[in-house]
Amino acid sequence: MILILNLILRLALWLLLAPLLPGIINKVKAWVAGRRGPPVLQLYYDLAKLWRKGVVLSTLASPGFIAGPAVAWVALTGAAMLMPLGPAGSALSFRGDVLLLIYLLALARFCTAWAAMETGSAFEGMGAAREVSYAVLAEAAIVAAVLSLSVQTGSVSLVTMLSPSAGAGAVLLAAGLFTVLLAENCRVPFDDPNTHLELTMIHEVMVLDHSGPPLAAILHGASVKLLLFAVLLIQAVLPMGELSPLAAAGALAAGVLGVTVSVGLVESLLARLAFRRVPLLLTTAFLLCLFALLVAWKGGAK
Amino acid sequence: MTLGPPLLLAFMALAISIAAGFRLPRTWLALTVTGTVVGLVAALRVLLGGGNWEWQSGFLLGGEPLHLRLDGLSAMFLMLVSVVGGTGAVYSREYWSDHHNPASAPRGRAWWSALLICMGLVLTVSNGLHFLIAWELFAICGYFLITLDRERSGVRAAGWLYLAASHAGTMCLFAFFATLASRTGSWELGPMREHAELAPLFWLALFGFGVKAGFFPLHIWLPSAHANAPSHVSAIMSGVAIKMGIYGIVRFSGWLPVPPAAGWVVIGLGALSALLGIAFAFAQNDFKRLLAYCSVENIGVILIGIGGALLAVTHGDAVWGRLALAGALLHVWNHGAFKALLFFGAGSVLHVTGTREMSRLGGLWHRMPWTAGLFVLGSIAVAGLPPLNGFVSEWLIYLGLFDAVTSKGPSAWAAMPVAIMLAMAGAMAMASFAKAGAMIFLGAPRTQAAAHAHECGNWMRGPMLALAGVCVAIGLAPILFWPAVSRAVGAWHPAWAPAEAPAPLVTLGSVHVALVILVLAAAAWLWRKAQANGLRRGLTWDCGYATPAVRMQYTSASFAGIASGWFRWILQPERKMRRPRGHFPAEAIRLERIPETVLERIIGPFSAVIMQVSTAVRRLQHGRVQFYILYVVAGLIALGVLVLLGGAQ
Repeated sequence: MILILNLILRLALWLLLAPLLPGIINKVKAWVAGRRGPPVLQLYYDLAKLWRKGVVLSTLASPGFIAGPAVAWVALTGAAMLMPLGPAGSALSFRGDVLLLIYLLALARFCTAWAAMETGSAFEGMGAAREVSYAVLAEAAIVAAVLSLSVQTGSVSLVTMLSPSAGAGAVLLAAGLFTVLLAENCRVPFDDPNTHLELTMIHEVMVLDHSGPPLAAILHGASVKLLLFAVLLIQAVLPMGELSPLAAAGALAAGVLGVTVSVGLVESLLARLAFRRVPLLLTTAFLLCLFALLVAWKGGAK
Repeated sequence: MTLGPPLLLAFMALAISIAAGFRLPRTWLALTVTGTVVGLVAALRVLLGGGNWEWQSGFLLGGEPLHLRLDGLSAMFLMLVSVVGGTGAVYSREYWSDHHNPASAPRGRAWWSALLICMGLVLTVSNGLHFLIAWELFAICGYFLITLDRERSGVRAAGWLYLAASHAGTMCLFAFFATLASRTGSWELGPMREHAELAPLFWLALFGFGVKAGFFPLHIWLPSAHANAPSHVSAIMSGVAIKMGIYGIVRFSGWLPVPPAAGWVVIGLGALSALLGIAFAFAQNDFKRLLAYCSVENIGVILIGIGGALLAVTHGDAVWGRLALAGALLHVWNHGAFKALLFFGAGSVLHVTGTREMSRLGGLWHRMPWTAGLFVLGSIAVAGLPPLNGFVSEWLIYLGLFDAVTSKGPSAWAAMPVAIMLAMAGAMAMASFAKAGAMIFLGAPRTQAAAHAHECGNWMRGPMLALAGVCVAIGLAPILFWPAVSRAVGAWHPAWAPAEAPAPLVTLGSVHVALVILVLAAAAWLWRKAQANGLRRGLTWDCGYATPAVRMQYTSASFAGIASGWFRWILQPERKMRRPRGHFPAEAIRLERIPETVLERIIGPFSAVIMQVSTAVRRLQHGRVQFYILYVVAGLIALGVLVLLGGAQ
């Protein structure tokens, strides 16, 4: 009974809070640019509107065009449910859950790319190709980061891995994971969620032909993914397990807010990179995580 | 043990089916399926019942007594032979039917049964000499199956390459078994870990079996053979035959002592194969070649697990090696199941469209929904994504590697880079199969052949469904398969024998089941919601094209462009390009071919030099007797000078 209540509360928390993040980012961007900007709850309105709208399906598309976003949404939500939440711990924790989390993200990526290719559009093919290619480097960086946490704590399950701080390599790890967060969630400088020039986009161009409830599932899944990466980053860096429950919850909330604001600031202050530079920046992220791993290795040997 | 009668029954059924294959296709099918089912049951009894089966007779073959043995390890591989052998036989009934291939279909059936018998013998004989005989017969059966369609020159070339590479490997195995026999004084095989002086022989076995397994620099024969063979043959070659190489490596690294460097070399070769194999796969435009290179990747994944186990044994018998080996052995099954499924799917596409070029296909899901669905399932499995079987075995290997890292021993230095490379290979595998599935089945048909495709019949669909069932079963209930895997692990290293299941395997299985239920529920819900809101069909928007043409679609080469650019140093693509010129451009071409780099850039030139030297030397032999006498005189004088100089010292 308690377990079910726990699961439902967690699910509600993830699903309801996630759309807040893009709103905050947009507010920060508007504030920096001196505009008033859309309300913080804009994505909630958008999702509600999309959920009621009809669907235009390409004549070429198979049922996979609708199933893809559904699977991706379930995979992302499932990954979020594996993530421990500060003092509340994790709903389901086992050895190797972190690998399941990484591969659930990969499953979501496969389904989004698949749905994009359904339409036979060259633009969407372009976006899917970019998404799956850059994921190779991003996944290497994530596994290096996870290895460094694993070396630090001697564990392969998320709850124990995320409870102490990342130690001496925390700054490196934070920088690496933040870059991966920007790449995986298609933010500037990798991608520009606001542009309407399809040639230059990754994620947005994959969803060009989606509409109605499937588009709502995609947008909501994307916001869950952003929250997931922010929570991962904060818990990896801060010593969650050593704080009192209240302080840990506060630190987590403040940390996620901080990450969101920084994404907004980065987006306001940086321009999007040229495409041939993207792999370079991702390799930098990978190297940062790799150095964090080496620091963790050295630190533990003392 | 009483396994003798069923194994004899399986052997007899398959042996008779060789003869039946020529005239009586139905009888052949019945006998082959019976043989494989009985073989499967026998292997299952060893894996679940516990005891090994051993049979020794006074009958001499080549001066050596016949000695058969079936233990946990060989039973595991025998199961794979049975499953793919049986499903492939059913599949070939429609795919390579007498109607379409009157000349080669009877031959194909006979060689199929012969191949199954030879693989069974390789797995059971326990005598070096008999092993070599069975191994050679198995290689030859493979050759005749690959070259079934021998009217095409590409097929003949692929067959020759396979035969030559296979024999290079067999040569090493001759050296291996002969040295082993001379050192131990007997051709008998069995555990002999106490003979420490035998350790260097491991390198001969690694090369000899490695050619068959096809890990990275030794894979040269594999892409062309798997691409050109009929698809049911590709399935058994890729799903099972290359695993015989893995069997050899596992078997003899378990029975014989290994040099201390073995673990490092094997895990390194595995990581190299995994990453480069999938890089080559991603760049391919021919979908059967893509599948073939993906086998190189999966052999790499298996070798990573085996290398991890060897490292663990040499560094203090660490327990994490058990997880790595279990993952590797489970991956042997998994790869056998999903790769055979994918090759069957590829065969269905090839059967109705007649092309292996992905850029000539597209939009096939509409006409081939079953094949498309099963191909997607296989793709998710091969990319190692949850909730299917590929993820379970890769997850076990990852767990082994992570445990190696957290134990902070010297093996951690191998485990850390290998884990990262495995992750990159996994991401590229996902990319490769997103590309293959999308190019073949999605979008609009790019040619008339693709537009007029039709679904394959029940004889082809049934085997695919069976293999898909295996993929789903291992993915959703991995714990059921653990006893078998743990028994094989115990056969390799007795100290790891009482291997209780790693606890999270049950949790992983239940998470997978939950995932499947939720995915089905979410998809159904979204579909109904979309329909309730109103579903309209329209032209692909594509940023406002009024009449999008078929050729505007993204192609396979453009999809792979970014990532294969990172591997240009090894892929070395050959490009032919004519840009559009002038105000009214007439014709523009861009052709790209990915050569088999190791074969065409290294082995090819090297063989060319050998050929040149040989041709030059051959000029000495021209048939004029006077010159031959001159050679003899010159030789005698040279000898005389040598003796004189030698005498002076």
